[in-house]
Amino acid sequence: MTTAAVTHPGLVGGHAEQPDQLYVETRELRVQGFLLFMVSDLVLFSSFIFAYLYLRNTGQGWPPPGAPKLDIALAALNSIVLFGSGATMHFALENWKHEHFIKFANWVMVTIVLGALFLSGQVIEYVKIAAGWGSSGIFGAGFYTLTGMHGFHVFCGIIFLTILLMQATAGKYTFQKYTGLTLGTLYWHFVDVIWVVLFSIFYLY
Amino acid sequence: MNATLAHVERILAVFVGITVLLVALIALRNDWKSTGLENQVFKLMLSLLGLGAILGMLAALGVLAGKGVE
Repeated sequence: MTTAAVTHPGLVGGHAEQPDQLYVETRELRVQGFLLFMVSDLVLFSSFIFAYLYLRNTGQGWPPPGAPKLDIALAALNSIVLFGSGATMHFALENWKHEHFIKFANWVMVTIVLGALFLSGQVIEYVKIAAGWGSSGIFGAGFYTLTGMHGFHVFCGIIFLTILLMQATAGKYTFQKYTGLTLGTLYWHFVDVIWVVLFSIFYLY
Repeated sequence: MNATLAHVERILAVFVGITVLLVALIALRNDWKSTGLENQVFKLMLSLLGLGAILGMLAALGVLAGKGVE
């Protein structure tokens, strides 16, 4: 057992607290409930994505006249930063499973920083194209709506992970009972995966 | 200046992309035999994360580019 594991409040007297029966029985239900929430979010994104693709393919052609070019170099780097945050969050959960609290906390903080960097990159992209594009036009509306909605999800994810980190530090989770941390990781991966789709339709298609 | 910045962004994207892809593949390999609903979702998410890293790298290398990009 590591030093980090011993100092964590989830361990009482050097022995791991065992999950109670209620936790064991309801864990799967809570995971399923969260997955249903993610499916509903997926439907929301899908609706906007299909609306955007429909308008793009039935409209006046792409790119619309007078529209500024999107910066693919910045977007590629920004995307990789977000995907990297998915990897760091995976590291965080794996370290929790292996009872390394300090490493877990460090990786979650790295994830939060990378998420904030992604949002900063989005702001830079908005500023660069705002002068040429503004908010007018259905294509601009589609771009701002979808990327803005995704950015809001990343922002919520940062708050979510911050709260999870605070709760983990306060001892709310043990190395045997950590459903919240699993769900936080799932949410962050979901946000990553949505960006794979958005990046593809805005920058690669 | 802008061209240099774009060049740096592309190089960084490729190097970090390779790292992310490797991490996703290793994590997938380690989790491959795990069971349970959330682990199946994790495997799907990690696969898509790897796909995203590949797409990001191809975009940074200029292999893939849409119509409205520079």
